[in-house]
Amino acid sequence: MSVVANNAGDEAAVARKKLGFGFWLCVGWLGLMLFVAVFTPLLPLKSPTANFLDSSQGRPPYAPSWKHWFGTDKDARDVFSRTLHGARISLTVGFSAITAGFLIGGTVGVISGYFRGWIDRVSSFVFVVLLSFPSLVLAILLTSLIERSLLTVSLVLGLLSIAPVGRLARAATLQYSDREFVLAARQIGAKDRHIIIKEILPNVAIPMSSLALLGMAVAVVAEGGLSFLGLSVEKGITWGGLIQLGSDASKTLEKAPWISFFPILMLFLTVLSLNFAGDRLRTFFDVKEMTL
Amino acid sequence: MRYYVQRVALAILLLLAVSMLTFGALNVLGDPLFNILGPVAGDVNNPDSIKMIEVAKREFSLDRPLPVRYALWLSDFVRGDFGVTFSSTGQPPVSGVISERLPRTVTLVAMAQMFAILISIPWALITASRAGKVSDRISTLNAFFLVAMPNFALAVILKYVFSIKLGWMPLTFVADDPWRSRLFQMILPALTIGLPVAAVYQRLLRTDIITTLQQDFILLARTKGLSRTRILLVHALRPSLFSFITVVGLNTGALIGGSIVSETVFRIPGIGSTLVESVLRNDFPVVLAIVMIVASSFVIINLLVDFAYTLIDPRVRR
Repeated sequence: MSVVANNAGDEAAVARKKLGFGFWLCVGWLGLMLFVAVFTPLLPLKSPTANFLDSSQGRPPYAPSWKHWFGTDKDARDVFSRTLHGARISLTVGFSAITAGFLIGGTVGVISGYFRGWIDRVSSFVFVVLLSFPSLVLAILLTSLIERSLLTVSLVLGLLSIAPVGRLARAATLQYSDREFVLAARQIGAKDRHIIIKEILPNVAIPMSSLALLGMAVAVVAEGGLSFLGLSVEKGITWGGLIQLGSDASKTLEKAPWISFFPILMLFLTVLSLNFAGDRLRTFFDVKEMTL
Repeated sequence: MRYYVQRVALAILLLLAVSMLTFGALNVLGDPLFNILGPVAGDVNNPDSIKMIEVAKREFSLDRPLPVRYALWLSDFVRGDFGVTFSSTGQPPVSGVISERLPRTVTLVAMAQMFAILISIPWALITASRAGKVSDRISTLNAFFLVAMPNFALAVILKYVFSIKLGWMPLTFVADDPWRSRLFQMILPALTIGLPVAAVYQRLLRTDIITTLQQDFILLARTKGLSRTRILLVHALRPSLFSFITVVGLNTGALIGGSIVSETVFRIPGIGSTLVESVLRNDFPVVLAIVMIVASSFVIINLLVDFAYTLIDPRVRR
């Protein structure tokens, strides 16, 4: 049995050396999604809001066909075009949320890990308070109280990622703040700001960045959940909203499963790619912590 | 002893902070008066409206300053009185709504947790004993797929496959059915929540079992000629459960989050779906009560997990 376990160890060692085909496949999909999200208005797509009524086919929804690759919904709107348009909000919110979370949480985490003392105690308590809510509950609570725009939804989800990111940044900083090179820098009279930016940040940033993709996956799922419940960005098309539209009534789901299944597929592949690529990066950089 | 007192004190402090945050957010960002009276609340020139506003303010103690309202609400809350729903009649009381719906959510979450544990332990044992082989790799890939599937999407898929296409499971929850059929109706919603969590547990437990299998005492057990199954079940599983227990406890939050989505999709009138409805109606005493109940149970479960930890490994107490 121990031989078998050794095999697993070898496998991990190999995985660390190179990122592998799967990783690049995921990066490719993410790149494609990013391209779609950025250039949707320029792509030769059918209008996402136009009704393509076709009297020869009877009443919509129409099944997937050459004309409508993903079929149409009850109002004869093109599901393919709408799904691609949905990439925009999902990815923008996911990306901005995790960026905001990393900027704020990372800064607070590094500062409290470096200075310790009362700053550390206060920020740790705030993190624990934020983590006392199941994240979806806190997200629902906050989004329900605000005007839901792209910016505010991103900020709310960013707020949710502050605590986990901050804790990781703090833990990573603690690891380094007593190391020889930091002590050496302090001995030669470097200021705290200099030490944090030049000595600590580069070391903390690498493991943290490999967690960014995993964090973005969490944010994309959270946005999907919110929009599924009708609590995400009010105007515009979201994957969660599309899935909700196709599954709200069991009859719609039975007759026209494509309305929700194609957005589910896109969302699934995107989250899968983010998770897989993030996981590979984490093994690549050999990051132990995983609490995001 | 000192450790326990400290942990309990911290938990209470946490709950206070959580309640202040929730209460503050709802009162500062929301407009409770508008929720009671609707458009009348903004109509301050009409004497009739002003009278109604005055009455409503007094009835819902909205004329008091925020800290006083918080103190009033908190003293009521700890005594189990969650206030009145924000509607023209104030009926039914929030505690009535909660006591009717909380048991369903608790059942759902418990069932989901049970499924997750029952699925993940054998799954982890089997894959760990075959680590690196084809079956293990396929299972790892499957776990990856499950984790990447957002629970609302999984709910839609399960509903489509098992309720609509195969017809094995009922489509909706009927509150008046006898308890056995209600339990049966909860299987699919509980699987929705439990399956991705099972994948998370499996990944963790598999790694831990593999580590345990490399220990010397396993080698000893093998040289004694014990069977594979016996080694796995009796010798390897127990020492590997350490972080598993923590994660099971910590994941209760994720389960509650999942129940919000699952209850909404499968139309179960539990506190998760009530939270969404109340949020959309701006009925904030209900929102406040539910958020507080969820956060409190979360904090208390974490506390219990910590205590369980000290029982397993007394070193943690220091």
